[in-house]
Amino acid sequence: MAQIWPIGGGKGGTGKSFLTGNIGILLARQRFKTLLIDADLGAANLHTIIGLSDPDRSLSDFINKRFSRLEETVLQTPIPNLFLISGARNKLDIANLAYEQKTKMLRAISRLDYHYILLDLSSGTSFNTIDFFTLSDSGIFVCCPEPTSIENFYRLIRSVYIRKIQQILKGHQFRKLAQAAEARNPNTVINNPEYLLDVLKEIDLENGHRIEGILQAFQFKLVLNQVRKQDNSKIGILICKIIEKHLGLKIQFMGNVGFDERVHDELCKKGPFVEEYPYSQATMDLKALTKRIVAVIHGQGEVPAFTLPDVNTLTG
Amino acid sequence: MKKLMEQNFYELLGIEFDVSPFEISLAYKENYQLYHEDSLVSYSLFSREEREAILARLDEAYATLIDEKKRSRYDQSLSECGILKEGMKSQDGRKTVGLIRDSKVSTNNTILTIRDELKAMVSSNAVIQEILTQNALRGKDLKRIRGELRVSLEIISEMTKVRMIFLRAIEDDEYKKAPSRVFLKSYVKAYAQSIGLDGEFVASRYLNRMND
Repeated sequence: MAQIWPIGGGKGGTGKSFLTGNIGILLARQRFKTLLIDADLGAANLHTIIGLSDPDRSLSDFINKRFSRLEETVLQTPIPNLFLISGARNKLDIANLAYEQKTKMLRAISRLDYHYILLDLSSGTSFNTIDFFTLSDSGIFVCCPEPTSIENFYRLIRSVYIRKIQQILKGHQFRKLAQAAEARNPNTVINNPEYLLDVLKEIDLENGHRIEGILQAFQFKLVLNQVRKQDNSKIGILICKIIEKHLGLKIQFMGNVGFDERVHDELCKKGPFVEEYPYSQATMDLKALTKRIVAVIHGQGEVPAFTLPDVNTLTG
Repeated sequence: MKKLMEQNFYELLGIEFDVSPFEISLAYKENYQLYHEDSLVSYSLFSREEREAILARLDEAYATLIDEKKRSRYDQSLSECGILKEGMKSQDGRKTVGLIRDSKVSTNNTILTIRDELKAMVSSNAVIQEILTQNALRGKDLKRIRGELRVSLEIISEMTKVRMIFLRAIEDDEYKKAPSRVFLKSYVKAYAQSIGLDGEFVASRYLNRMND
């Protein structure tokens, strides 16, 4: 069965599509059959990042039932082993999918025959984005070491967990929980999943433990992108630490990707970055990152984020 | 939030019961990095009140544990409510040099990274940079620099192996306590280097003043 990695982050411009595209290329170059899906439905541009202009079919053709099978929307790319379901050419209202449409889509995605399927999600905390995280219980958050990006990331991650609690509980149960939480802590906004879980355990121990188990099975990962030389390189680790301490959530830090001016140039040329600049720091970082994520997901123990990776094994 | 406030000082700082003062200082510094007002890591995660409460609690934990008498009184209170049990502390009180949780990291490496971090802080701190422009440096200048960096004298003592009494003498300008001028110079140099300053530079400016 394919490994499905939703890739998202609270803020726009953090490099979600850039990472999705380039990690996809690196996986494909390692001869893994890899599919990229542009689920940034309102603002798709993953095709541009891997150097494919004007795709003639897209995800919306499946949603709108122009094609009955999701496979029919898959495009070949210039890179061997790399395939794309584009998000371009969507109707303007497609950014707001019903929950059933998303589950249907995810079911269809999970039946596809690939080694890796990377889902490029839109920014913000709309249900479109959040549900892809809650539905697949793994996923990669992309964040930049900047206050705005970190703020949105914290917001997104809290939303994901609270949405999951909401989905598992029935409507009236969740309302009861929200009321109980508010009663215990008036005048504050309830946005801490750990706190919500504590209250739930008080009023409904069985569900509390059940949901705790489900949330603990989440295996979310964090990548810091556009890390400049002057930035504290340990900030990702610290972010994961503080999330565990204060929100009670386990997120694993996967590594930094250095800021590179040339990413902009390459985007303007509409070409794939890792192919064009194979020896730049950002490419090295991306290779190390890809290798680490693959290792962690396949349970080859926890690869420490700060050992020097053997880059050569990834070039393929 | 509530949980954090219910943690004992050791849990709060994320340390074992038998750690050395050096580890306490390190843990405090690490935690301070997470929670201080301009920390990028915890940006937007807490309200101002919450942040102030956390910082106050951290300060209280540090002030209690770094002071040997207060720490033993606090340990006593933990034993009385059954949190601290026999055997959790080593026989002779505490470990002498147990630098960091990860045993693979050697002592020297730890000190080196601390120095690198301190160096970066020194070069980006305007107050310190201004102090360093003075032609003469007094003990109280060094103390101010140390205050800006939030490094305790205990840490410096562990890093430099210079005894506390001499380090205090340096900060209080009590030169007579040092065995000789040569020793004094090497102590000041070690002190300065340990907190990321240029040892030779600081020592010469410190000793220059003595001749006045």
